[in-house]
Amino acid sequence: MSAPFLEVDGVRKQYGAIKAVDGVTFKVGPGEIVGVIGPNGSGKTTLFNSILGQIKPTSGRVAFCGEDITGLSPLELSRRGVGRTFQTLQVFVKLSVRDNLIAAAQEFKGSLMGRLFAPPDAGLGEQADRMIEMFRLQHVAHLPAGTLSYGQQKLIDIAMAFMAAPRLVLLDEPCAGVNPSLVDLLRELLVELNRTQGGSFVVIEHNMDFIMQLCPHVICMVEGRVLAEGPPAAVQANPQVLEAYLGN
Amino acid sequence: MTSTVRKSLLVLAVVAFALLPLALKSYGVYLCTLFCVYLMATFGLNLTIGYAGQMSLGQAAFLGIGAYIGAIGLKAGLPFFVVLPLAAIACFAVGLALGFPALRVQHHYLAFATLGFNVLVFLVMRNEEKITGGTFGVSGIPRPSLLGLSLDGSLAFFWFTLASTLVVIGLLWWLLRSPWGRAFAALRDNPIRAESLGVNITTYTLLAFAIGAMCAGVAGVYFAALVQFIEPAPFHVSTSLMMLLGVIVGGSGRFLGPVLGTVVIVLLPEWLRFMQNWYLAVFGFAVVALMIWLPGGLLSIPERLRRRAAPR
Repeated sequence: MSAPFLEVDGVRKQYGAIKAVDGVTFKVGPGEIVGVIGPNGSGKTTLFNSILGQIKPTSGRVAFCGEDITGLSPLELSRRGVGRTFQTLQVFVKLSVRDNLIAAAQEFKGSLMGRLFAPPDAGLGEQADRMIEMFRLQHVAHLPAGTLSYGQQKLIDIAMAFMAAPRLVLLDEPCAGVNPSLVDLLRELLVELNRTQGGSFVVIEHNMDFIMQLCPHVICMVEGRVLAEGPPAAVQANPQVLEAYLGN
Repeated sequence: MTSTVRKSLLVLAVVAFALLPLALKSYGVYLCTLFCVYLMATFGLNLTIGYAGQMSLGQAAFLGIGAYIGAIGLKAGLPFFVVLPLAAIACFAVGLALGFPALRVQHHYLAFATLGFNVLVFLVMRNEEKITGGTFGVSGIPRPSLLGLSLDGSLAFFWFTLASTLVVIGLLWWLLRSPWGRAFAALRDNPIRAESLGVNITTYTLLAFAIGAMCAGVAGVYFAALVQFIEPAPFHVSTSLMMLLGVIVGGSGRFLGPVLGTVVIVLLPEWLRFMQNWYLAVFGFAVVALMIWLPGGLLSIPERLRRRAAPR
């Protein structure tokens, strides 16, 4: 692994006696794609939320490009180039697809007062159109996002996370609820975005084929801890991982 | 309907409304002017509620603050165009302060917080007699003059108020078309996602309240100059509820929604007066019916018709 870009060091999140995340440590290098797998309730989303300022970790340290970002708010993290998607759909339902994408990047353009006097598309129209084309959403670009199918909204949701070309993106179950043909498209898009934008991705996913083909490095979490880590084939073949998923 | 046809119809409607008072008696002209005053306030409230998704039951308090600043300032001999920005700035500042509860609570909790604010302002207006005149109010409020032309006459003041209302509406249209408008919509639709995309939800929440309040404050100055006598009653919570009704009946979050909504809250009760004792009951029934059959407001009718006509 190359020099660490994201460092998660002994992160714990405890709710009373329940240890949702119990001392998780891992590193992500520049441009690297890391997969996080684990059974339901293993603490994957809590780990994401602890890294991304949605919840405050009980202990541990998170560093991004050498800077301690533990407990910083999602707003502060987004300004440092950290993006994310959520487990459930999170689009702006009444805005058009194009406006959703522009909204995802406009706050990084100029000052608050500058944006008041900026053109309506904040100078991001062309970039939004390119993203719309890349995600094959041209035919619905001017429709309100809330009126589209689940799969289309999922694509918008993911495209939004990449509009501002973040340096690190954490994707929480991008394939949840989408049909198999869309899963292939999603994988191709993420590979393409990784190549063109050069950011690092951390991906939580239950779809093993997706993770195994997308991520050169996989972490398996069970009961809040890292159970196994390494290349996908090795993690998949790990007897402890198999036991955690399938039982004895 | 093409955009050009729509714009032409809009211009025609504005011209027709501008000429309407020529055919009306003085009470009719007063109602048309009052309609313009309420339009400024409901357009502001539509930004706060409809675009930014922040519940507010305190808009009448800002109308009152603007009206009292207007009344006291104009009576003290200050020029209208000095009093107007004073009221706007004061309401912007108070609106900013009222926005802080919205950072902690939402929906009906926020509604009650803003309602409490309206009650508080109402009590100050009623009890601080030395400043506000209490229930005796402030009378003899002069109307402004413009470039040496007196606006004392009801028609002249109507046209002046209409022109000012159009300026306020134009500024709001420009603001909501700017990236700020999109940020307000993002805040309304999904504040958690918005924050993760760099939208400073604290700033935009406070701005939504402050700009909405500023519009009501400006409306208040025109209200004071229109009625030339103010007392606390028009700024009671019931007026805030009527304004909220105006925004929702017209179509919350639709730019021209407040126009139809303000017709319903200001003009409809007057048109129903021929029913004498029954007019308020019929008005109430009409509002209930509208809310049941048109929860998206009057401006949602074309959309509903289009959806019904679309092949399934």
